[in-house]
Amino acid sequence: MSALSLVVAVALNCAPAGHPFVTEVYYDAPGDDTGQEFVELWNDSDSTRVLTGLRLQAGDGAGPGRWTTKWTGGPGDAVKPHSRFVIGGAAVSPRPDVVLTLDLQNGPDGFRLLWPDGATEVVGWGALEFAEYYCGAPAPDVPGGSSLARIPDRASTGSNAGDFHPAEPTPGFANQRSVDATLLRHRSALEPEQPSPGGSATLEVVLVNAGATAWGVDDAALRVTSELLGAPVSLNAPAVAPGETTRVSIPLAVLREGRGAFAASVHLVGDEASANDADTLLARVGAGPLQVAEIQFHPAAAEGEWVEVRNTLHAPLALEGFKLGDHAGAGGSIEAGPPLAADSLAVLAQDPTALRMAYPALDGTRVRRVSPWAALNNSDDATGLADQVVLAETDGVPVDRVGYSASGIAAGVTLERAGDTWRPSPTAGGTPLAPPRPVEPVAGGFRADPRRLRTDGETVNFAWELPWGAAKVTLELYDMEGHRQRRLAGPVDSGVHGERPVTLDALAPGLYLAVLRAESADGTFTRVTPLRVDGTRP
Amino acid sequence: MLAALLLARAAAAQDFSGASPAGSTRAPDGLLDRALPPAMATITAAASQTRWWGLPDLETRSVSVGGSFHSWRAALGLSQTGEPELGWTSLGLGFGAASERAGAGLRACVRRDRDAPWSVARAFTTGDGVEAGAGAWIMAGDAVRAWASAPQVWTSGASAPLVRPLELGIRVGDVDAAWVRLLAPRAGDDGERALGVSLQVAPLQVWAEARDAPLRGSVGLSAAVAALRVAARIDAHPVLGETVRLSLAWARERRSHP
Repeated sequence: MSALSLVVAVALNCAPAGHPFVTEVYYDAPGDDTGQEFVELWNDSDSTRVLTGLRLQAGDGAGPGRWTTKWTGGPGDAVKPHSRFVIGGAAVSPRPDVVLTLDLQNGPDGFRLLWPDGATEVVGWGALEFAEYYCGAPAPDVPGGSSLARIPDRASTGSNAGDFHPAEPTPGFANQRSVDATLLRHRSALEPEQPSPGGSATLEVVLVNAGATAWGVDDAALRVTSELLGAPVSLNAPAVAPGETTRVSIPLAVLREGRGAFAASVHLVGDEASANDADTLLARVGAGPLQVAEIQFHPAAAEGEWVEVRNTLHAPLALEGFKLGDHAGAGGSIEAGPPLAADSLAVLAQDPTALRMAYPALDGTRVRRVSPWAALNNSDDATGLADQVVLAETDGVPVDRVGYSASGIAAGVTLERAGDTWRPSPTAGGTPLAPPRPVEPVAGGFRADPRRLRTDGETVNFAWELPWGAAKVTLELYDMEGHRQRRLAGPVDSGVHGERPVTLDALAPGLYLAVLRAESADGTFTRVTPLRVDGTRP
Repeated sequence: MLAALLLARAAAAQDFSGASPAGSTRAPDGLLDRALPPAMATITAAASQTRWWGLPDLETRSVSVGGSFHSWRAALGLSQTGEPELGWTSLGLGFGAASERAGAGLRACVRRDRDAPWSVARAFTTGDGVEAGAGAWIMAGDAVRAWASAPQVWTSGASAPLVRPLELGIRVGDVDAAWVRLLAPRAGDDGERALGVSLQVAPLQVWAEARDAPLRGSVGLSAAVAALRVAARIDAHPVLGETVRLSLAWARERRSHP
């Protein structure tokens, strides 16, 4: 290195030469920061560095000159060659070299190191107004749970913004290790979500090579332990290049019934950080203690949406131990109340008051408010499903999940569980707090509204009643001479009651016959209703 | 006239269609419904009722009268179809000339929707649908009759609710007969073909016809006592069900060439 470049490098360096320098700061932990904050120093030299007289000062970026000394190095404080020195709270793991409450601000703020020889290093983050709180440019303000880490560990760009980046907290360890296999936390998933007892499933984990060294096949191993498994499961991890992320599927077999945790870990020879090697997934094998029994996703009146659940246990169950939600997850808390008796039904409602007004005979103690209520979708998406009703325990353990299609289901009609299948309820408005009623044969009907279309492209709402609880329904259009013009819809699944809006475009004026054809295991059913399209033929 | 028939578009009619089989030379509804005048000079009065595909809210009721003077034939009819929301009222007029060997006719029909009560003021407002058509038949031999019918060659105003295309047919025999009918293609189909037979066991006449697109059939029965003829016809469709037509006609024949 030439003398000029050395001078330039030193001039651009935010850390003073010949001293340990800051490699990581963790100032914003999730929730309460107390005891979790830390500052990490690194001695990159070949000799021990004494920290006696070193002062660590926190800066309040709200105004100039607001520095508060948080720690001063004592006579015995030193950092060994190529080692790290952590100053942090009691909750930091591994235990810091100096334990104290730093009480750093969440930004825009900073801190600095004042060495006895007058050398200074300052690190600032956020949109700082005063230059004394940062070097070059302030580092970005990080989200809660992330630290601000010097990456790579020897980064020296002459700017806090260039040297420091958001990262997983790694107190006492290198920010960018040479060898480091990581499992991303809270990213593991089980497929199926609730496997059957004795059955199999696949645990998917997200594996990251967070080190600077590639590893090959067989260099790393994955291991899964759980009380839901008869024995731990191990398999070789795939080769992953530095910085790459890959999803690994781990087959699990002969699962035991119950709730528990799948603990996945990765083991790599020479791994320099063990704290990021594991992820845990709370899971359930088999049916949960609470079962979704009926879903009202599009109430016809003002009673609001509701979901009926059944306590499948032989003992009372506290409903407030569960959460309810839609496809986005179970996020709605259930209001507390008396435990639900064994093998009993309860209704989890968007608006219990409105529901009790619509159904005055309901037992109010078994109607519970859920807040926030996740509005259930009323129309199918490209997957053919409208939404999902998701039940989970408050700690996230799955309880039940029901996906449903709204196709062909008239407004006000509920979906109910009948044995192992789901069907539109034959009872208008559903049967909250009551078991499904048997399907009673009805005369059957088929209606179109409107029956007379003033213009081409108008939407007609077809509605019908079938003599069976489940059937495949097809809607077709014939002309008056009995020639089939087009298929309007279907075949779609339908219960006793069904409806379907259809836009009739590119249809010549005239009288038509809309035909409902329903097929079930019990027979076929056909109904016809006339339609008229006004206009003048070209 | 042949050119006009060939140029005819999909036609709308059947407001006056009775229970007679296709190609009948004695059908009282032939002139009003198909512009095919009867061969014999007659004076007729007829009434019919049709329930389309078993739908009680889609019924057609019609009355008609017909007469002749030498070779000239004329008919006048009134019909009503469907309940007020969907239905319409039709006034039909047919005029033509025929001998025992050939005949040709014209028909016209005016329709008005039933979605509002009739009134004098409304009678003079626009909104009617008008159509006119033509037809002709000829005896190609002693017992071979060919016909062409385009019930709607010209239209104006609101579109007709029922659609029927140009029809060509040949019938062999008189009361014991067989016939073939061809219907021109409409938008979205390739036309229709029909084959029928008729037998007379006096005083009854029975007939049957098979059609395609889709495959289906019709059967009919009529009985004549003196000048009165009662007829019934059932059209069966594999999906839509059945259309039932009943008609009662009084006819007094007189020779066109005494």
